[in-house]
Amino acid sequence: MDKAIDVKDLVTHYGEREILKKISFSIPRGKTTVILGGSGCGKSTLLKHLIGLLKPTRGNILINRKDIVSMNEDALNDIRKRMGILFQGAALLNSMTLMDNVALPLREHTELEDSTIQIMVRMKLDLVGLSGFEGFYPSQLSGGMKKRAGLARAMALDPEFLFFDEPSAGLDPVTAAGLDELILKLRNVFKMTIVVVTHELPSVFMIADYVIMLDLGEVIFSGTLDELRVSGNPRIKMFLDRRPEAETYSPEDYFRFIAGD
Amino acid sequence: MKIEVIDYKGKKVMEVSGEIDMHASPSLRKELMSLVSKKTTPLLVDLKGVSYIDSSGIATFVEGLKGMMAFGGKLKLASIPAGVMEIFNFSKLDKVFEIYGDLDDAVNS
Repeated sequence: MDKAIDVKDLVTHYGEREILKKISFSIPRGKTTVILGGSGCGKSTLLKHLIGLLKPTRGNILINRKDIVSMNEDALNDIRKRMGILFQGAALLNSMTLMDNVALPLREHTELEDSTIQIMVRMKLDLVGLSGFEGFYPSQLSGGMKKRAGLARAMALDPEFLFFDEPSAGLDPVTAAGLDELILKLRNVFKMTIVVVTHELPSVFMIADYVIMLDLGEVIFSGTLDELRVSGNPRIKMFLDRRPEAETYSPEDYFRFIAGD
Repeated sequence: MKIEVIDYKGKKVMEVSGEIDMHASPSLRKELMSLVSKKTTPLLVDLKGVSYIDSSGIATFVEGLKGMMAFGGKLKLASIPAGVMEIFNFSKLDKVFEIYGDLDDAVNS
């Protein structure tokens, strides 16, 4: 595998609580990797580590063979310019038009003339199906349109890596499927390394080349979609079959817990 | 990225090689728009040596074409490598630009 990202023995805590428990995995270059797992399994925390927003307690995160854990902020910012990130809420600036939102990274990080930038912004908006919306403000857009505008901004600098945090969250199934198709198109044409954090199974089966599954802060699977489908791991089967967790407390334990003994 | 402007069979040719990325595009724009503002037509751009182009490079050529069209000039692109052509195809610009297999085709067009 040509590794774009290599995570080694990553441990992280929120306070005393261990969130990621010495996990190791690799993300292949030019493919779409889905980080899958139930709510609270640590996948969004992991994403924040991959983009250098959080520092782990221990371990290494190699991006193009360079460890971002030990990097200073300047070096990290250079790496971040090669990353596009679509956050759950799209993170658009409400006081700016879509033109200015998408142009922002280009104006901040390049010496390009504004006339060139405006053409680039129109190209990105067209790519996400928002041609003609450059003068609109985020408040004038639907949830799906905001996501697509956020994606246009994430792609402003033609990133080598594109990260999505729960892209389907809050979208209806048709809009979510449209976003999935767009993710496929980006991988096929621009050969980007795409990392998607999600728990939406239909998305996983549509977009994933490679899957990493987290459970209670541990990697319980990494491999292709076909390998995931035939996995005998009961936790994976439970997730894929959408079966709920078995009761973890006995009635007596539950009583003791709520009674405060 | 390297740019050379040469005369070839009586036509002005801009030879571009290397990577046309966000660092290189401002120089490409400067050179291209200087020829456009001098109403150099037809202007042939030989892209044989280009290994990579990003959206800033594509946008720069769009700007150049727009400038040319304003006075009825011609911008002709030649010898576009397959990987670079894929980006032109994807952005639908292969239908807008005059694109030729090689420089001689562009000269004789």
